[in-house]
Amino acid sequence: MTALALSPLATLARRRFRLTAHTPRELLVPLLTPIMFALVIAPALRTALHTPASYEAYVAIGTIGLLIPLNTMFAGLGVIVDRESGAQRELLAAPVPRALLVLGNLLVALAITGLQVAVLLAVAVVRGIHFHATTTGVLWFLAAASLFTVGMYGAAEILASRVPKQEEYIARVPAIAILPWFLAGALFPISAMPNGLTWVAKFLPLTHGLALMRYGLLGDSTGLHNIWGMSSPSAMAGLSIGVVALFALVLGAVSIRVFTRAALR
Amino acid sequence: MIEVEKLRKVYAGGVEAVREIDFEVAAGEVFALLGPNGAGKSTTVGMLTTTVRPTSGTARLAGFDVMKEPLAARRVSSVVFQEAVVDRSLTGRQNLELHARLWGVAPASARQRIEELVEMVGLRDLVERPVGTYSGGERRRLEIARALVSTPSILFLDEPTVGLDPRIRAELLDVIFELRGRDGMTILITTHYLDEAERLCDRVAIMHSGAIAALDTPERLRAELGRELVELRVDGDAPTALASLRSRGIARENAFTVGSTVTVPLNGHTSSEAIAAIQELGLAGALSARQPTLDDVYLRLTGGRLVEAA
Repeated sequence: MTALALSPLATLARRRFRLTAHTPRELLVPLLTPIMFALVIAPALRTALHTPASYEAYVAIGTIGLLIPLNTMFAGLGVIVDRESGAQRELLAAPVPRALLVLGNLLVALAITGLQVAVLLAVAVVRGIHFHATTTGVLWFLAAASLFTVGMYGAAEILASRVPKQEEYIARVPAIAILPWFLAGALFPISAMPNGLTWVAKFLPLTHGLALMRYGLLGDSTGLHNIWGMSSPSAMAGLSIGVVALFALVLGAVSIRVFTRAALR
Repeated sequence: MIEVEKLRKVYAGGVEAVREIDFEVAAGEVFALLGPNGAGKSTTVGMLTTTVRPTSGTARLAGFDVMKEPLAARRVSSVVFQEAVVDRSLTGRQNLELHARLWGVAPASARQRIEELVEMVGLRDLVERPVGTYSGGERRRLEIARALVSTPSILFLDEPTVGLDPRIRAELLDVIFELRGRDGMTILITTHYLDEAERLCDRVAIMHSGAIAALDTPERLRAELGRELVELRVDGDAPTALASLRSRGIARENAFTVGSTVTVPLNGHTSSEAIAAIQELGLAGALSARQPTLDDVYLRLTGGRLVEAA
């Protein structure tokens, strides 16, 4: 990307950040449910079912798998607001490549998601949950979380470009953001599900993302093994990061195309 | 500065909004697309500002093809859209600064330009407030100021006064009038208000059902109907009354009817001659003589009164 393109991108990202800052719900609401899981549900499960302490760490990572889709879907609402009552047409008439309009929003979605994930992990640590992260592990975690965020924001942007009203958009959020979370090994290993659902879970990018995040922050490759059945954790992690990267690349590219086509009449 | 050739837009579903129109606007000219809602004016502006994809034809802004060189075409132009297109939670100044940055205006120039424009449109006391708190007229003035921040060679104003109350509309027309000749800027304005077109524009294209029905200066368009005309309301069938007037040589081809009204350009007759002939035929209900307006031109070309259609 050239320096010429960076300046408008920074301008668009700054605009989106300012608009988001005026809408605190976009920052806070996605954070509420995951923090509830980390602070209330996981400790309650431990007390009631006598799960080991490691289960709280397991669920803490699992809640990131809910936080990212919720946050990115909320970010997608901004696209509809721009179109219905905001400055989208002014931006479309601006002398900047239209892909930058999507990328500017994506940068802010990434930054806010990063902030929220950091808060979630900090809360977990304060709650006494222990992570066993190495430098390499943190890199695996960051790569998985970032790429999954890009892909999910792409999905949000596509949905926002395709549906005409906020009500319709919100009605579809549970199917996209929450349903996969129940299947992707957020609260229990995918091997605990019936065989058919286990196979479905192996095709979900979130399953790969969560397995990678646990591998990175907990040093636990069980999730990767449940997907690939191989013995080399790094090989399995490589394969899963490829899946998540492909997810990010495809949805990112499609979202730019869909936005550009839908925005023009 | 603006060149349009056989520009056509067919929307999904087969609605042909613009039908192969041609026109050119010279540098520094103020040009109006005049017509009712649905005439294709906003679609034309959409295609020129690259927010609507043309089905066929070409359009160039300052020599840049809007399809092949859209970034260059957008760089030399700005637009004030018909509907509100602002970030409501941002302040007026933040909206202006955003435009300046996206159009690549140097920060120092942008600051100076914004100060000038805020003064010009009378928003000095409001510019630090969120745009969501502005009235319709204030927001419109902000949008005009925003479009001028980048000192565009071409300014598009799409129905800039629609929906405003008469006082605010008059104030805004003053602002737009002040733009004439500013920095050699070319202005294309769409409107369905005749007085706006007459007051602001060097030339007017009358659009009807996606096509340009006439294009000339307001004076020449009116001249097609001569210097004076007679308008009469008849109790019976207006086309029959018109036929009678034509058979007596009072009305020619440029006479026309709308509903129960017959409009007869005098074409060299005096008004007293025409009135006498009309009374002799026993046609007149209400009858008046007056100078032609653009409304009459539009009426003759389209068969519908402009303001009623809008």
